Amino acid sequence: MPHTAEIKEIIDESPDTRTFRLRFRDADTADRFEFKAGQFAEYSAFGDGESTFCIASSPTQKDYIECSFKVYGKVTQSLRRLNKGDTIGIRGPYGNWFPLEEFKGKNLLFIAGGIGIAPVRCVINNVLDLRDEFKDITIIYGARSVSDLIYKQEIKEWKARRDIKTVITVDPGGETASWDGEVGFVPAVLEKNAPESENTVVILCGPPVMIKFTMPVLTGLGFKDEFVYTTLENRMKCGLGKCGRCNIGNVYVCKDGPVFTYAEIKKLPQEFNNFKFQIANYKLQIAFLKG
Amino acid sequence: MTQRSIQMDEKIISRVDLLNICQDVIEKGNTLLTPGVADYSVVKDVSNLNLDASALPSKISYKSYVFPRTEPVLYYKRSKNDVQLIDVNIDSKKIVILGAKPCDANSLNIMKHLFNWDYSDEFFNMRAKNFIVIGLMCSHFDEYCFCTSVGSSPVSEKGSDIFLIPLDENNYAMKIITDKGKEFITPYSGYLKSGDENRSKRITENVKQPDVAFDSSEVYKWLGENFESPKWEGVGNLCLSCAQCAFVCPVCHCFDITDEDYSYTEGRRMKNWDGCQFGNFTLHASGHNPRDIQSKRYRQRVNHKFRYYVNKFGEILCTGCGRCSRGCPVSVDIKEIVSNCKNDQKELR
Repeated sequence: MPHTAEIKEIIDESPDTRTFRLRFRDADTADRFEFKAGQFAEYSAFGDGESTFCIASSPTQKDYIECSFKVYGKVTQSLRRLNKGDTIGIRGPYGNWFPLEEFKGKNLLFIAGGIGIAPVRCVINNVLDLRDEFKDITIIYGARSVSDLIYKQEIKEWKARRDIKTVITVDPGGETASWDGEVGFVPAVLEKNAPESENTVVILCGPPVMIKFTMPVLTGLGFKDEFVYTTLENRMKCGLGKCGRCNIGNVYVCKDGPVFTYAEIKKLPQEFNNFKFQIANYKLQIAFLKG
Repeated sequence: MTQRSIQMDEKIISRVDLLNICQDVIEKGNTLLTPGVADYSVVKDVSNLNLDASALPSKISYKSYVFPRTEPVLYYKRSKNDVQLIDVNIDSKKIVILGAKPCDANSLNIMKHLFNWDYSDEFFNMRAKNFIVIGLMCSHFDEYCFCTSVGSSPVSEKGSDIFLIPLDENNYAMKIITDKGKEFITPYSGYLKSGDENRSKRITENVKQPDVAFDSSEVYKWLGENFESPKWEGVGNLCLSCAQCAFVCPVCHCFDITDEDYSYTEGRRMKNWDGCQFGNFTLHASGHNPRDIQSKRYRQRVNHKFRYYVNKFGEILCTGCGRCSRGCPVSVDIKEIVSNCKNDQKELR
């Protein structure tokens, strides 16, 4: 049974991405609702269904929770039609989280691409609220174009801070005349700006293709698989380990994830990097078509 | 759900008395289900009830009575800005299933693990609690049956609360397996005569059983080592992704959640059957699809049944009923596939 929440604030992050600031209608629920950085929830637009996003605000922020979503499908389109003061449903929090306790005393490297910044932003803000407990912090965030960058206000604040290094990049062709950040894909920018791999934990979120090309770079720079954390974003429906949609092998991403280390992902059946298999199948299909 | 009682009672009941019990069940307002050709259906009139151990399994198991094809999980009412949520009352009528095939009888036992790990699904549990399963020995088998390969058999009592063995045309041996079964049958104990275990044993021992087609532990091992086997391509190219196999399966349990508006202000959230063979089952909104081609989806199906579920819950997610193969429009036969997995010469299909 979802809780109902009021949309307190709508922030248009980019032409297709929107952030809702939400407060539970029931004061008791609002007080009791607790989560950890990396957990997700099921948000419903009643009449069109539910959609899965991470909780994008920091757990240290007690007054409200935020979610950011890119308009893609039926539910996100429906959510976009809602106005300030309207009601949405929230179920959660579900899934596991980033083990911030274990990160204490270490350097942190955040790498995000596109909407993948949402879960990373939750961790960043959580960490910045406890800044003294972590060592050097580096943030690398890339988007397709300048207008696709989200959390622009917060990026400004991060850039202004002396105690973190913030590198923002856009894909070639996505820059504007006044763009003062980097231009290039995330893996290349990472190569130039990566901190020492020693005693550093990586938090990596982004589209599958970015993760695929970033991982070899990280490995090349000496980052260990067990210190690279990422979130797997599979399609989900129930969030309760029942509906069978998100599983990879024995793992239900909604229960055992969404946060995994790269070492853990490598142990799973390789349903994501399975390009060899795909190519073999294409060849077969072509052969079939040729007769 | 099923607790094995200490003493296993064996009784004899005549066909007429069995029908009397059924009549009473119906008169008390409970639902009585028996297997038909297509489905397990509700019996209104016991006079034409036919308990045939040699019947072909119905096309669909009784899964839908505990995990319906579609059911509301909540209702909502929208006013100007607010939304009001209303709980669903789960129908808690007692359901007696008379003549469940042994392969079907075990299905709830297999599914209950999934519906109760971590979060308990109240919809499933409430219905399962109200189920009385009266199993009937099965003397049918065809080329699709393989219950004996997945740890069951035509005389398996697993999952039944009460188990029947036809002794002759007019009498059945009745074994009371669980406390639930005992509680159900106690009011009718006047109908029961004391039984002779040797007599029923002679029958069960002589039932023709499907040959063991494969060793499930070897299949388990093969699947672990052959995730990327080119063998998956053969069946992937054959399969139509229609997912009938999932719908007729007594233990497939994937579902979808969707909203349905029935007026501008009111609607309900529905839980519907879904199938892992559909192309859009794992399709992300972004267009990325982890299981984008049929061979990956079929691989998921076989792995889930014979490896993942075993890892997670210690049981094979299959009862060996053969429905998926019997109903497949392109004759994909799961028994053949897993039996041939180790055979290098043969393509999986």
